[in-house]
Formats: sequence, structure tokens, C-alpha cells
Amino acid sequence: MSILRRAPLGGILLLSVMAVLMVGPILTVVVWAFAEKWRYPNLLPTVWGLKYWYVMLGRDTVINPIVTSIALTTVATSLAALICWPAAYAFARLRFPGRQVFLFSFVAAQAVPKFALFVSIAVVFLRLDLIGTFWGVVFVQMLSAMLVMIWIPAAAFRGIPPALEEAGFDLGASRLRVFLLITLPQAMPALAASYVLAYVGILFEVDSALLIGAPQITTMPLVLLSSASQVIVQEAAVLCVMIWVPCFAVLLLTRRFMSSKGIAQGFGA
Amino acid sequence: MTIAKPLASGAKAPGAFLEQAAGLALIAAPMALLITLILLPTVAMIWGTLQVPSDSGAQFGLGRYQAFFADAYSMANLRYTLFQTLASCATALTLSLGIALYLRFSEGRIATMIHALSLFPLFVPSVVISYALVRFLGPNGLLQLLLEQVGFTHYRTPYLTPVGPYIAFVWENLPLPVLVLGAGLSQVSDHAIEAARDLGAKAPRILVEILLPQVRRSLLIAFALIFLGVIGSFTVPYLLGPPAPEMLGVFMQRTLGNLRRPEEAQVQAVMLMLMASVVSGFYIATMLQSERGRR
Amino acid sequence: MLNVTQLTKIFGQTKAVSDATFEVGLGELICLLGPSGCGKSTLLRMIAGLTPADGGQIAIDGQDMTARQANRRPTAMVFQSHALWNHMSVAQNVSFGLRVQGLPKAVIADKVAAALTLVGLDGFAKRRPTELSGGQAQRVALARCLVVEPKVLLMDEPFSALDAHLRANLREELKSLQRRLQLTTIFVTHDQEEAMELADRIVVMHAGVIEQIGPPGELYLNPQTLTVARFIGQMNEATVTLCGGRADWLGQPVSIAAPDGLVTLLCRPEDMHPGSAGIPGRIARVIDLGPMLRVSVATAEGATLTWLCSRDVNPQPGAAIRLRAARLLAFHDGRRIGTAQPLMELRQMESVTP
Repeated sequence: MSILRRAPLGGILLLSVMAVLMVGPILTVVVWAFAEKWRYPNLLPTVWGLKYWYVMLGRDTVINPIVTSIALTTVATSLAALICWPAAYAFARLRFPGRQVFLFSFVAAQAVPKFALFVSIAVVFLRLDLIGTFWGVVFVQMLSAMLVMIWIPAAAFRGIPPALEEAGFDLGASRLRVFLLITLPQAMPALAASYVLAYVGILFEVDSALLIGAPQITTMPLVLLSSASQVIVQEAAVLCVMIWVPCFAVLLLTRRFMSSKGIAQGFGA
Repeated sequence: MTIAKPLASGAKAPGAFLEQAAGLALIAAPMALLITLILLPTVAMIWGTLQVPSDSGAQFGLGRYQAFFADAYSMANLRYTLFQTLASCATALTLSLGIALYLRFSEGRIATMIHALSLFPLFVPSVVISYALVRFLGPNGLLQLLLEQVGFTHYRTPYLTPVGPYIAFVWENLPLPVLVLGAGLSQVSDHAIEAARDLGAKAPRILVEILLPQVRRSLLIAFALIFLGVIGSFTVPYLLGPPAPEMLGVFMQRTLGNLRRPEEAQVQAVMLMLMASVVSGFYIATMLQSERGRR
Repeated sequence: MLNVTQLTKIFGQTKAVSDATFEVGLGELICLLGPSGCGKSTLLRMIAGLTPADGGQIAIDGQDMTARQANRRPTAMVFQSHALWNHMSVAQNVSFGLRVQGLPKAVIADKVAAALTLVGLDGFAKRRPTELSGGQAQRVALARCLVVEPKVLLMDEPFSALDAHLRANLREELKSLQRRLQLTTIFVTHDQEEAMELADRIVVMHAGVIEQIGPPGELYLNPQTLTVARFIGQMNEATVTLCGGRADWLGQPVSIAAPDGLVTLLCRPEDMHPGSAGIPGRIARVIDLGPMLRVSVATAEGATLTWLCSRDVNPQPGAAIRLRAARLLAFHDGRRIGTAQPLMELRQMESVTP
């Protein structure tokens, strides 16, 4: 039903405004990444080129944090998947005492402002000498991934008709085999999507890296943060395009496997 | 390692016990993480803030909080944080509601593109959009360039003013309410609306009397999510906001990381949690309600 | 072959299945028949082992299965929703049970091919479940079960999602296949026609209780409970008061050898005969069913009788007619107590006829 069908002009207007405001800022950055010289008041760069790409890629203070970030993120996301996916299955399929309470506590954890949480963790870590350590950062980053890694997979597992698993069980497979041969492949698209979503989220996380990792552990987003206020504009722009654009592309690919309804439901809608 | 079992009904067979044990075992690891990293540190922190140093060692008291309230700078930051958060919430919600309403009642390619655009910020990390807005809204940024092309030369950049973060917060927080409200609006059937129109109701009345009550819950959830996200924000105000007053996130980082005063940072964090707790409580209560209804 | 004794299942406060007891012989196809919610699917799932029983025993070939998990029972189940795995090909679906057993690849390939041929799906091995029609999918599901050579085949309303024609075809194929393989089969359905066509014996269930077990004809001709009588086929029904062994059924005097009280009398539409002696009435509607005609007759007392007759009778709407019940089944308190005998004398009702 379309009350507004009579006013397509309104739609086009909205679309144009949104296109400029939503995409404009990002577009600016992308243009900057390929600009060697862009002086005001020119609307476009005067000299295009990849000069700053070479500059950034040649710098140790850029490459090392990128490597660190990737290492941290891969370990954190994979660990989170390892412990959260079976838990997601348990929440989706099994009945055990306290299930509602435990599930609920994940929602409640979401309701705490993250930064305050990180401060409290930072103070504890300070005493335990975990500040600036690889594993300290990993564990904190796992926290951010947990909600995504439990909610989306749980919805996926719940969406698998029980008859599919029962059929396998009925034909002689052990429960483990049913999980590996039937449940997991069926849920795989959503699981992969949740992995990617969590990965990108952790990769670009500033708050935890700043409070827990600094100063020994420098991650890529921290470099971005500091270069954002540098005079040489292109440096941060190059970093953005180099790292974020591929992430965005992958995220788009996995969008298919995550229903908007599922995500909205995960937050309680 | 995993003992995966199809849903079993009935609680009398020995398999039921195995299922319960398996379930608890599987959730043990993430729950442990939750407890050790969220519950315990939070409790420790609240406890720590209630320890007031004195000559006879640490004593129990509200001294630290009194110091916080007495400090004009801290209070200014507190007020600024609250104000910034509420303003961003209101704006983001209003705009999202508008978009969600538009999407509810339109079809076709334009609607699809608007839908895609409104979800775009979901894929853009905070640090990227903050930096992008610096380049877009900042002095000699793209926006200024575009405006000058059409003859507008009095551009005052919101960079390093409260408006900067405000714009970023609204930008970041468009998708989630659009999703949540969209889900809520889609539950209002076309028939219900047609029936109202049939009885002579015009659009504003339909909006107020039929649509909004149905999405009341979605609105509350959306509000809670945006509020909780913005109030503890760091990157956006750090890159775009004024040096003073600071949002609590930036303030805390400076207190802990630069000034190396963990006790004060803890007090600030608890203040943040307290401010958020009203909304958190709301959110949790609403979630509880829906869970009960679903059962 | 299969012995079910006092099988019970309780959900919360309700007994979904109450003390079910029956046996199935080798090569027999029995149907669990009943309305939705009668417990037939629950009973089937307990035999499969997918739902744990709260009481009773299940034995297959003399071995007690009650404590065994579903994956250790010599049963295989075809689900209502075919439950094929769409991340595997047809061949991989069918071979699943064999792969679990660890048989060599060549053996598996042969068996899969044989099973597919059996269900009429030669050459479908490489296809994907998403490319199959509803009927083809159910055949693959059946092949998947047959290939593991179960002692008992269980089918949970497998054809209910298919259209009538397809259902009829599959039914026939299933019956001939089952006979050929001498495969003991339990088939759950809510469609009494389906049960009548397929079953060697039917187990009629209602509200968790087994009402009657018997061959289709037996259930039709001699229902032991009111539920069975009403569920299978159609009935003309009236409750009468028995006094001194006599009662009046819609204007027809009958005698029943039973104590005084309320008795429900049922007569099949095809057991009504027209004649000069009988219940007077007027033909209200004639419904053309194809092979037969179903006639609604309004009696003088205001009841409606349903009469099934052949086409050459050619009844006309509005015509007056007299119908006699040739066979009346008598029920008291839901249970069958006997057959009522119609008396030859006629009650003169013309003076009361409006």
C-alpha cells in the first residue's frame, strides 16, 4: 500500500538529500585517498595519484599496527566463535535450567555503556598487569563480539526445522555427527555472516584498544585516530580506503545471510 | 566436544538430564567471560569508588562522589554529555521514524535505495565516519566547497563545536531505529490503516492514533539503544567535539590514560552507568515483558 | 514383528497417548488414524525413539527397544515435510544412513542407485532438493529410508502436503512397493480414505486412546465406538430412549436387546432403502458425487436423513419418499452394544405430517 505514491517527487528529494549526506562524507575520504594535491577552493584534487599509498605502506609505524590489528582481531573473533557458537546452539535447541536467565544476562550486558565497562576492566587489568598485553586486549575484544556471535547464530539454529536433525538422528547418526553434518552446514551462511560482522567491528574498535592496549599495543584504528588530526590529510584517508573498503565489500556480500528482522529481534524489537 | 541433541520433549528420560548438563556445559565459557569481565569488574569498581581515603586508611563513604559533584568542570561535562545524548536521540529518532514511515508506505526502486542508504552507517565504523565528517564538514571540507559552488559563502564549520559530534551521532544512529521501527511498523497491517481511512481519518490522525501506539515499544527500544550507544561514546567527540566541555567518554580516557588517575576515572564511569541505568532499566524491563509474552 | 505395550506419553497435565497397546505383523501395513491432536504422531515418534515414552514398552523382533535411542533402533521415518537436506545432493541425502554406517563407497553407490530406481527416480542422483517437486522430494525421503533396510518403516502423514491426484498416485506406488518388499510399515494419517486404501489394519485413535483396531472393512461395518463410527464414513444419527426393548428411530420402530435408557442409533447412508414401508419424508437436495448420488431427505419429524443411492434411482427434489433403515448400529455411552432390529409394522404418521 503506498499512500505516498502520489508524491514521487518527495521520494526523489529524500533520496537525493540522503545520498549526499550519507555517502558524501565517505566519498570525500575516498577522493582524498587518491589525491596527491588537493587545495581549496578546487572542487576536485588537482593532482591524482597513489603517492600516499606508497608512503603509508612503507612506514613501519603503519604496517606494524595493521599486522597487530589483524592478529588481534583474528584471534579474538575466532575464539569468540569457538565459545559462542556452541552456546548459541545450546540456547536455540536445548532445554536446561536457567536458560532464560542466562540468555537474558547477555541482553542486560548490552545495556551497560561500553566505555564505563572498559574503564572498570582497565582498572582491574592495571592491578593484574594485563594492560598493554596481547591477551588482555583479546579478551576485552571478545566481549564486543559476544552479542553478535550468540544472537545471530542462535536465530540461525532456531530457524533450522527440527525434522532435519531428527531425520539424521533417526537414520543412525550420533548427535555429534548430526551437528557436524547437518546443523552446522545449514547454519553456516548465518554463522559466516556473524563472523564477518564481529570481525569488522573488532578490527575498528578504538575504545578497548585505547584503554587496555595502549601504549604497548598499537592497533590500526589508533593509528587512524592519531593521523586523523595530522596535517597531511591523505594519510588517514589512505588507511581508511585500504582497510575499510574491503571490509565494507565483504560485509555487503554477507548481508544476504542476515535478515533485518533477525537483527532487530536480537535487540528486542 | 559438543553434544548436539535435537530438541527433546519430556523430562523424565535419562536423556533429559544429559541435555541439561550439555546445555549448561556449552554456555559455561561465554558466561564465564561475562562474569569475569563484566560483572566482577563492575562490582569491584563500584566498591572501589566507595572507598574514601583518609588518615586511618580507606573508609567507606561517598567522599569521591562529593568531590565529583563539587567540581564544576566535571559537572559541566556531565550536563554536556546528557544534553548531547538526548539531543542526538531525539533527532535520530525523529528522522528514522520519518524514514521508516516513508519506507512502510512506499514501494519501488526509490524506496529500496533509501532503505539501503539508511542502513549504510551499520557498515561504517565510528572512527571512519568521524574522520570522514572531519573532512566533509570541516574547514575547507567538501561541504563547504559544494556550498560555495552554489554561492553560499558563510559556512561555519561545526568541527570542534558541539554540533560536530551531534551530526555524527545522528548519522551513526539512523540504521538501528530504522530497522527496529520498521519491524514494528510492519506489524501494523495495511487493513487496519485502510479501515481508518475508510472511516475518514486523515494522515496525521492515522499517524498519531494508529501507528504510533503500535510502535511505542519499538520507539522505546530504539531510544534505549541510541541513548546507551551515544552516552559512552569516545571516538566521535574526540575527533569532532570541542576541547571543553568534554563528553564523559573523552573525559574518562583523559583521566585514566593521560592524567593517570584511575580512582577519579572510576567515579566518572559509575556516574555514566548511573545516568544510563534509568534507560537500561527501561530497556531490560521491556525485553523482559516481551520475553514473557513470547512464552 | 513390532509390539507396543501400554505406551504412554504425558505433556504437562494431559495424556497425549494413553496406554497404547497393539502389534504389527511382519510385512503388514497398519495406519494410525485419527483427527488432529489425537496422539497418533506422538505415538509414531515414540516408536521411532524421537520422543521419549513416559511408560510402556516397545519391542521389535522380540528385542526391547524402549531404552534405546532413535539412532539405534531398526526404524526409519519419513517426515511430513520430507526433511531433505538442501546442502546435499539427492544421492548424498539418500546415502546418509549408509555413510554413517561406514560402508565402502562402491557398495553405497550401488545401494543408492537401487533405492532411487525403486522409488522411480532413476538418474536423479546429482540433483539438489531445491530442484525437486513435492512428490519427488517425498520419494527421495522414502528412498533415504529404504536404503538402510529398516525393520519397520514409519511414515508421518507424508503425503498431506501434496495435491489429491499426486497423493493418490503415491499411495498406490507405496502400497505395491511395500507389498513387494514385505516391509512392516506404520503410516500415520488423518484422512480416513487414505487409511482405508492403504492399511491392512487400521488403528483408530482419539484423544490419546486407541478406540479400535481392525481391517478397514471391519471398522466400517462394525465400529465398536461412536467415535470410530462417526470418523469413518458418514452416518445418519439419532439418540432415542429405549423402553422395554423398543424405541422409535425418527419414525421407524426398532427393537434392541439392551436395558432401558438412552441409546444412539446410527445408520449408513447406503443402508437406507426406499420402499412403501419406511420413514416418510421429502427429498430436499440431490448432490451428484459422480459414481453415486447423495440425497438429503427431510423427514416429517424435522430430521435430515442422508441417503446414498445409485444413479438409476433418479430421485427428484421435492418428491415424497419413504426410507427404511436396513441396518442400525446401537451405541450406549459411546460403546457399541449391538444392532437394532427394525420392526415390520409401520407407525401411521400421515395424520401428523404437515
